[in-house]
Amino acid sequence: MSDQSDNTSRCPFTLDRRRFLQGLGAAGAAAGLGGSAWAESHTDAASAHDVTGAPVSTTTQQSHPFHGRHQQGVLTPRPATGMVVVCDVLARDRTGLERLLRTLTERIAFLTRGGSYPKRDPSYPPADSGILGPTIAPDALTVTVSLGASLFDERFDLADAKPKHLQRMTGFPNDALEPARCHGDLSLQICANTHDTTIHALRDIIKHTPGLLMVRWKQEGTVPVVPPGHDTPAPSARNYLGFRDGTANPDTDDETLMNALVWTGADPDEPDWAHGGSYQVVRIIRNFVERWDRAQLAEQEAIFGRRKDSGAPLSGGSEYDEPDYANDADGKITPLDAHIRLANPRTPGFEKHRILRRPFNYSNGVEANGQLDMGLLFIVYQADLEAGFITVQNHLNGEPLEEYIKPVGGGYFFTLPGAIDEHDFLGRSLMEATDV
Amino acid sequence: MSPRSLFFAASVFGLMALQTPVQADVDPEALVEPVAEYKLYVLDNIDQFVSHTEKFTQAIEAGDLERAQALYAPTRVYYERIEPIAELFADLDASIDAREDDYENGVEDPDFTGFHRLEYGLFKEQITQGFVPYAKRLMTDVNDLESRVQGLTFPPAKVVGGAAALMEEVAATKVSGEEDRYSHTDLWDFQGNVDGSQKIFELFKPLVAEEDPAFVDRVEKNFAEVEDTLAHYRHETDNPEAGFVSYEKVSQTDRRAFVGPVTVLAEDLATLRGKLGL
Repeated sequence: MSDQSDNTSRCPFTLDRRRFLQGLGAAGAAAGLGGSAWAESHTDAASAHDVTGAPVSTTTQQSHPFHGRHQQGVLTPRPATGMVVVCDVLARDRTGLERLLRTLTERIAFLTRGGSYPKRDPSYPPADSGILGPTIAPDALTVTVSLGASLFDERFDLADAKPKHLQRMTGFPNDALEPARCHGDLSLQICANTHDTTIHALRDIIKHTPGLLMVRWKQEGTVPVVPPGHDTPAPSARNYLGFRDGTANPDTDDETLMNALVWTGADPDEPDWAHGGSYQVVRIIRNFVERWDRAQLAEQEAIFGRRKDSGAPLSGGSEYDEPDYANDADGKITPLDAHIRLANPRTPGFEKHRILRRPFNYSNGVEANGQLDMGLLFIVYQADLEAGFITVQNHLNGEPLEEYIKPVGGGYFFTLPGAIDEHDFLGRSLMEATDV
Repeated sequence: MSPRSLFFAASVFGLMALQTPVQADVDPEALVEPVAEYKLYVLDNIDQFVSHTEKFTQAIEAGDLERAQALYAPTRVYYERIEPIAELFADLDASIDAREDDYENGVEDPDFTGFHRLEYGLFKEQITQGFVPYAKRLMTDVNDLESRVQGLTFPPAKVVGGAAALMEEVAATKVSGEEDRYSHTDLWDFQGNVDGSQKIFELFKPLVAEEDPAFVDRVEKNFAEVEDTLAHYRHETDNPEAGFVSYEKVSQTDRRAFVGPVTVLAEDLATLRGKLGL
């Protein structure tokens, strides 16, 4: 066990995405044990064990410290896989709700740090699913807990403490919301370097919360990985329409900006308990990819307002250069209804509407018509839901991109402030604020 | 040890304290009596099952649709109570209780027989014509089941494991309303599974009560909660024979209210074998 905990040294992460990615590059280049094992598997392809031998990762020991003023999974660099699991709370009273929040806190603290499970007598069910083996590596796991508006109904006496903008999501004109994939009392955003780590975390949480939580819907997603590169800043990942997504995100290293745009607290009308939290928007946005793949490239680029290969704005430069709308008032270069121009017209005063995008791509199966059911698991965070997503989406209503996309599910949630230390638990400030 | 490993060790210890159940030191001899009692319970139920199946299949053969519909759910209850034992005979379980989803061609599949094939005729098509061969086959299978169960030595692990298996049945197919999708008599089956599970728990409870009273309290509390919710949907509160309303009438809130105690029962009863050293 001491071996394990010694190996579980936390990567000296800052919240800097670019440095994080460089760090990954360095780890890959150093190619210790993992790298050579990988090389061997290629030089000795005839070995019987190579067929079923586990693929090797050099990043299983990456970890994001759980405790802090804010939860992980918001500003944390997005890993290759993620899922949103939305649950209904089955607890009957405040005691049950607090037990749920404390249990979630304890499980997340353990899972994100890694370690071993206790051994049980074999005539009992095992303490763990075992899908990651007897010792759990953190694998950059984050689990982010957020609450839906429905939790603030009469069940737990939370109504008076509801965050100012938290509400049940209502459909926008292009939406075709499926009730079975919408809303819910509590969302878990689970992200990690590998899919199995997220599944393991989910099964652990379900195992520990019988009678408290019931899964309502779940959507898994991925982000395409890239080889280590020297570009700074690193280019944004691509969505299933082939475009870079999240280029215009506000700078997560800028604490003042994050306190203004992402973390709730600047608005005096928000309850004190909510300071340090954030509004989370989740949308399952189906992409009609076959049709998209038959659209001309020029049309695709006009719809987004960016070059498909580089991500550069149509007005020129490279991905992170500001689009020039000032000299293009009539939209000859970047159409006035291009996605990025509607979402952020870069006009004075629009800064307050900026949102932090943290999406994943999803692929579920096949529709009855033989077309692929895939798209974007859209996740954004903002300090103010109205000024953020709702305002931006209202600008986007009617955009040409709608011909190729259809939002079918999702919900609005409030991401709880972080648990500061081992004595704290997620949601403590809410429970205390509503204790009568 | 570094401070971090200390912290780590402490947290694992905390987890162990929380998770490692009390190990009851049970004498295998002590299992003999409850297993024998359980066999009596099963034989009594299978006896009832045979006589109810006779009346049910006779109604179909007589072309009495209304009577056959009325006897469908009350007949099945006896099977649902003893499912952990009945399921030991996989061939009969398939021909007696398979659902259309178990066949690629659904109701059209020639192998699809038994209660749910008859349910489709009686409740969906609302006819008895053409179903007499299925009724005769069911009667033959049920008689076969009775003679096989009579000759069976009951394995203690299967008996004890049955308490959890029945709650898994409830969690997997009863709460969703999949089991009796045409008759909507799911609550009868639900009650049958709960009865069967509770019977096993009651029989073995004395062997764990002293070692782990908290476990016993929790299981009893959750059984009571399920029973209370079920009672809301009885035709006559104090008369179990009168049966239940259609599952379509069970509110979404109550369907969800079942999930909590049923899941906790499934988790808790899954440790019963361990507690008895089986």
